[in-house]
Amino acid sequence: MNQKVLGLLLLLGVILSSCNSNPNGESGDGLDVPDSLLTTNIGSDVDKAAMAEIIQNISSPVEMSALLKEEGIEFNYKFLSPTDNIDEFNTNFKQALNLGVLGADMGYLNMYNKTGAVLNYITAIKELSDVLKVGQFFNFETLKRLATNSENIDSLMYISVSSFDNMDSYLRENNRSDISALLVTGVWIEGLFLATQVVKENENDKVKQRIGEQGIVLEQLMIVLNLYKKDKRFFELITEFEKIQKALSKVKIKVEEGETEMVEVDGVLMAVSNSKTSVEVTDSQLKDIIKVVEEVRTYVIKY
Amino acid sequence: MRKIFIILLLSVAFFKPQDLQAQCNASLVTVCSSKLSADATYLKELRARLQPQESGQQLPVARFSLLLNSGNHYRFSICNAQEFPAKAILQLYDQDKLVGTTYFAKTKQHYPAFDFICPKTGVYKVLISFEDGKEGCAVGILSLIKK
Repeated sequence: MNQKVLGLLLLLGVILSSCNSNPNGESGDGLDVPDSLLTTNIGSDVDKAAMAEIIQNISSPVEMSALLKEEGIEFNYKFLSPTDNIDEFNTNFKQALNLGVLGADMGYLNMYNKTGAVLNYITAIKELSDVLKVGQFFNFETLKRLATNSENIDSLMYISVSSFDNMDSYLRENNRSDISALLVTGVWIEGLFLATQVVKENENDKVKQRIGEQGIVLEQLMIVLNLYKKDKRFFELITEFEKIQKALSKVKIKVEEGETEMVEVDGVLMAVSNSKTSVEVTDSQLKDIIKVVEEVRTYVIKY
Repeated sequence: MRKIFIILLLSVAFFKPQDLQAQCNASLVTVCSSKLSADATYLKELRARLQPQESGQQLPVARFSLLLNSGNHYRFSICNAQEFPAKAILQLYDQDKLVGTTYFAKTKQHYPAFDFICPKTGVYKVLISFEDGKEGCAVGILSLIKK
């Protein structure tokens, strides 16, 4: 009798253990939908090997903001995408795009230590990531605590960036690379939007150069988006982004290749390259880029 | 006896396959990221879990493509999982040209990180391997250094 009870208990244990499929060990809120059913099936015919070759970090939610801060440019709330009515994004397509947009905004807020305002963004991101079933990678409670108490900006930054990184990796690995592509696209367009709005109001050569170089980044992004062009919504998005590509193609970029050497500077090993890049963006080209980026960004964030 | 049964039961109930690699998992990323200096902002993790090189086969390598922006000061750090003694080597390539490494073959010296001031925006390759093609687990962290 005891052996039978023990056997049953062990079996129950195995079942309970195998049911814990959430990567973070958290229980889901609501129905657990298998990932295979969550994909929009847009990317189902995209070769996994092709996706693996794609650049890992086409856009970062913090790199553009870091440059703006380094350049001493003041923070501006009016550049941010609004968080009201995000529930009006009623397709996975729009939700994923705008999750990326809000991620870049959160990076911008964090970079400038705007912890009070970042709470709205954390809440909105949590909502969108839950709808997209990637909320388990977003440590909402910790982020909320760090933002509320302004405890540790570095931790806030680390957790928010790594949450996006983990979401992206998970989506790629689980046949949802179409959603990952949209997330990355949202991050990129918002970063470029922030930079173009800044140079619209401030003369800054470094930011102008970074904008001019975005054609190189966009080229990589378009490779990813084109994997899904059979889908009407992706086709439309690609058409919009081609307008930016056209505007950026006029920028002249010159690279002088040089040798790289490894040296130790103050105990830190450094790879010092003698290559140089010069970027030439005329005022009229810049004006055109700013205008087109504004239009495309409006298209991305509209309901 | 009952205690043993309870321990056994709890072990089975809470066992997860990933526990087999307790050191070689997300905690390695956390530990490695916590070693970043105050002037570094975390950007990306690069995980590598490689099997030993088989005779006649190529050196096992984990490959990553990264987009780096010109003018940015990046740091590439590498951390090994404790249970694998083979040291990881992280190398950065611009196309086929080696532009950064955590290991100097001449001096046979390993470094925990190297800095790279990116001279041109573009796609770079990161390769992570283990010395002498041994089995290993490591994580590379890409961070941005504040100026």
